[in-house]
Amino acid sequence: MITIKKNNILEVLVILALVFIFGSQQADAKIYGISGLTFNLRAMKGNIIADDGKSIFMWGFANAAGVRTRFQYPGPTLIVNQGQSVTVNLTNTLPVPVSIVFPGQTNVNAAGGVPGLLTREAPPGGSVSYTFMASEPGTYIYYSGTRPELQVEMGMLGALIVRPTAVTTPAGFAGCAYNHVDSCYHREYLYLLSDLDHTIHDLVLLNKIADVDNSTAYPVYWFINGRSGLDSVAKNFAPYLPYQPYSALARMHPSEKVLVRLIGGVRDLHPQHMHGNQHYVIARDGRILKGPAGEDLSEGLNTTTVSPGQTTDALFTWTGENIGWDVYGTALHTCNGIPVNDPSPGSPGFDPVTKEYCPDHGKPFPVALPDQNDLTYGIFYSGSPYMGSPGALPPGEGGLNPTAGLFFMWHSHNEKELTTNNIFPGGMMTWASVEHPSVILPAE
Amino acid sequence: MKFNKLMPNVRTTRNSPITERSAIMSKAGFTIPFLLISVFVFGVFSSEAAVSVQCPYTIIDDEGNTTNPNVICKHITGGDGFATMADGRVIYTFGFSDVTNQLPLDQVLVTAELDARLSAPVIKVKEGQEFYLTLTTLPMSMRPDLFDPHTVHWHGFPNAATVFDGEPMASIAINPNASLTYYYQVPGPGTYMYHCHVEATEHMQMGMLGNLYVTPLQDGQLLNGFTQFAYSDGDGSTGYTKDYPIQITSIDPKFHDANLNVQPLPFAAMEDTYPLINGRGYPETINPSNTLGASPENNFKPSQNLPSLIEAKEGDVILLRISSLATVRFYTLISPSLPMKVVGKDAMLLRGTTGHNLYYETNSVTIGGGQSADVIIDTSVIGDITTPQRFFLYTSNLNELSNDQEDFGGMMTEIVVSPL
Repeated sequence: MITIKKNNILEVLVILALVFIFGSQQADAKIYGISGLTFNLRAMKGNIIADDGKSIFMWGFANAAGVRTRFQYPGPTLIVNQGQSVTVNLTNTLPVPVSIVFPGQTNVNAAGGVPGLLTREAPPGGSVSYTFMASEPGTYIYYSGTRPELQVEMGMLGALIVRPTAVTTPAGFAGCAYNHVDSCYHREYLYLLSDLDHTIHDLVLLNKIADVDNSTAYPVYWFINGRSGLDSVAKNFAPYLPYQPYSALARMHPSEKVLVRLIGGVRDLHPQHMHGNQHYVIARDGRILKGPAGEDLSEGLNTTTVSPGQTTDALFTWTGENIGWDVYGTALHTCNGIPVNDPSPGSPGFDPVTKEYCPDHGKPFPVALPDQNDLTYGIFYSGSPYMGSPGALPPGEGGLNPTAGLFFMWHSHNEKELTTNNIFPGGMMTWASVEHPSVILPAE
Repeated sequence: MKFNKLMPNVRTTRNSPITERSAIMSKAGFTIPFLLISVFVFGVFSSEAAVSVQCPYTIIDDEGNTTNPNVICKHITGGDGFATMADGRVIYTFGFSDVTNQLPLDQVLVTAELDARLSAPVIKVKEGQEFYLTLTTLPMSMRPDLFDPHTVHWHGFPNAATVFDGEPMASIAINPNASLTYYYQVPGPGTYMYHCHVEATEHMQMGMLGNLYVTPLQDGQLLNGFTQFAYSDGDGSTGYTKDYPIQITSIDPKFHDANLNVQPLPFAAMEDTYPLINGRGYPETINPSNTLGASPENNFKPSQNLPSLIEAKEGDVILLRISSLATVRFYTLISPSLPMKVVGKDAMLLRGTTGHNLYYETNSVTIGGGQSADVIIDTSVIGDITTPQRFFLYTSNLNELSNDQEDFGGMMTEIVVSPL
């Protein structure tokens, strides 16, 4: 009996911890990184935790500018402005030479260090310095140019974002991806995809680099922003993921334009599928998809191929248009000023404040849902189909969606990659939540 | 966790993976109160489960058409079954079966037993219709230890509501011997697809995959010489004479055998060696019979009833609705002799917002899981013929032209053009 009581307390503590983690706005609606003109990065070793609990030995780039330099995977997201001359100083604490290449940047020059194949390198214990012109806005990748087949696998990669300078962000928007108003957004999220063969990491940890055989590389771990499985939705800088700081949970309000910066890391292609709506690919490899006369060449897709070394920018918006019933629920609310229980509640267009699709305002839920004993509930189900209105759930069910957002899985559609070393669920999956307008999301 | 050992293969969303991996939860003392709650929640004592179909109008045929032409009601089941590969190997599968308009309802649990279809029944609906899709989950006949629920995910549905999106971790899934009715206001035309999303890696590898497409409101108008179109293009530029769904999937026989033999499932080692079109490998892809797949294992139910043979008369314009629900890799399909014009991708017309048609001609389309392409082949390019001409549509990933160890087969079908 005493044993059971003790574990009841532990259960409660775990549930409280989960509420603490996911409760108040913990997943921030932005991209975290380091800004500036000069960056000091350190190549160092570290460890990450996959969602099956395995600790994986890694190499990576860390931000050496702070009081304490902490390993991270992926490397720090560098954020610069178009037209700036950027300097990246790299010091190396690894037992092998390292370097950085900056695909897509102009006038990339290296100084110091020792000669290497793709670029100059920092020898073990040494350093090297790179400068480049961030001439074009967009989403880019940086990674080690030294034995990249090993070092990128080991974790030496990160994102580089160049902000446009020749476009005025329209009122209400948070920013623009390119020098064109069609690329402006309310929120932006980073999605750096990677695959990992842990046996290579184990060999490196055991000082057996010579035994690494990339021709037989076989990933069984997959990550978004360095996190696998449900760890992807933990908040930015979650304390229990100290070396994997970047969240992949995307939160938004209806009708907001969300910029998704997709980056293919390591070696495999992934068909990235976003539930909830189609998205528009507006740029690839840092170039907006427009013709010479401004023709719109963006691609409407629901599953985008993300190739290794390639970046893809996509805009996603959820409006709830044409669902056919009132997804804002049965509790009193208005659309275009008309209350939901009005005899004629529908009206054309969208509500200017809540963005509700008014032709469906007041329309009843079209079917009877089965008895709860006949249903299996998802952890992100709020208990009701309505956005912003949680419903009753059996004990132990749900709980990770207290604001009753609509959660849509964003994941690799090579379902084998939705596993973590033979366990489902895991791997390359995350979610986006569309939150009721009353839910406060952090400003960009 | 001790509870999981009672149900070896259940990886349902009832147990939050976060709590599963917590060291705290691994203590046995947690098991007893959890078991009590779970028994109550999982409905062991429940008598609520029942097959039920919700449709606001009377269903008038097996397609699900109702007394209201704007409303269509279909009923499908999710369960297990068997299919036969082109090399003769019998494979255990999970799949959907169409039981629209079958009565009495409870009889569906018997008639659909072991009737899983590879590929799943084609769902064809019209832009603007109201679509009620009832999914009834069957118990697994070959795995009485499993009680997996199922869902239907309409892949590509725009502005979806999570409750009808079928992704079980964000919504609900329907348990065995019960029914859930999905409601869709059918969106814009194009080639979509549908599949079960419960334990997606397992259920999709096991075969719960199907073609789904929407025909446009423009159908019936005469435009550019056609009355059928892939999209409401306004200019008839996506008009066609005949259309064919072409769905790419693939099977890892070791995974399916492990599932049949109550073994741990080899997710990490998943490697598909039976590349398929519409659930069959060549030469069965061109077998015009729609009653293949019957074997003693599935009580002689024809589980593979979708041929991929493309037949046209000279001058016909063919629309191929190509999609992939493969779970491991990308595939490239080539039509080396007949050029393909890609007019749509992922159920969206290839036209920019500034009105430019972005169609392009090609001999190949590369498709990963979840992607689709609408491809038009104008057979008049071969000119006048006096005898039937045979052309091939196949994967240029040439090693996938095989049925496991059988050297030639796999992802290939034929386009046969006959003289007028």
